[in-house]
Amino acid sequence: MKTTRSLLLSALLLLPACALARQDTNEPLDAALIRSLQPGKTTAREVVERLGAPTEVVQLGRRTAYRYDASATKSTALILLLVNFANQDTRTDRLWVFFDENNILTHHGAWYGTHRPQYAMPWEDVHEAEDNAEADAERPGVGK
Amino acid sequence: MKGIAAALLALLAAGCVQGEYNRITVDEPLREELVAPLRPGVDTLAQCLAQLGAPHRVFEYRVGQDGTSGAALLWVWREAAGWGVDVSGGTEEASGSFSFDLTNTDLPGCVLWFGPDLVLERWQRGTLGDLLPGRQRPSAQPAD
Repeated sequence: MKTTRSLLLSALLLLPACALARQDTNEPLDAALIRSLQPGKTTAREVVERLGAPTEVVQLGRRTAYRYDASATKSTALILLLVNFANQDTRTDRLWVFFDENNILTHHGAWYGTHRPQYAMPWEDVHEAEDNAEADAERPGVGK
Repeated sequence: MKGIAAALLALLAAGCVQGEYNRITVDEPLREELVAPLRPGVDTLAQCLAQLGAPHRVFEYRVGQDGTSGAALLWVWREAAGWGVDVSGGTEEASGSFSFDLTNTDLPGCVLWFGPDLVLERWQRGTLGDLLPGRQRPSAQPAD
């Protein structure tokens, strides 16, 4: 009986625990909305009306550039008695819009990544081309 | 000796001191095959944004007396993995909050510099310490 108790106690102490967590910052960018922006026509006011307040405004001489972004982080941990293994994978959506001195859109560039982070252990391969393609296919406006 | 071993075991069992293996990935590296075909003196900001997507940061670059300015576009990413000892029972790295620390000179990145005509002047891959040396906050100028 004493041996059984000792074995059970040892097993309980040595049993691993797993943890998963996800943290998002800002809403993912809307690819369809961004595609509606028209260089030479869309104004800074219209961009703000459609996308909201930017994260950052940068002065470029007489020009300005606005940054919009969002991020998603997936964390995985295997917690053992003496050692822990943890993986943290963060991907971001980013949009930069550039305006001339009259606040007319001249350029914009976007990157979509918040649908790509993966729960994985630190020794696993992640973000292989097939993984990204599969994730892209499931996000409206991003997959080709 | 037995006392030290018992104390160490107690610390380990309590989770106060644990070995850990962490991997942190933030965004994907800007692949060499995407950047290498860019042609300084020829490619424009619009072409580069279409090819590479949105950067992480944009900085003012080569501000002229007449108020014109170029732009420096920074892409940055992080891939770090390694063993460590966690003494506190928690790690800041795994806290889930995300933000690139641009003062971390060891982070890998890539910068594209555009002149006031927004034509690519040059690009360079390296660490932030090499890419953004001596960058400082511009002095505040009173409005006219």
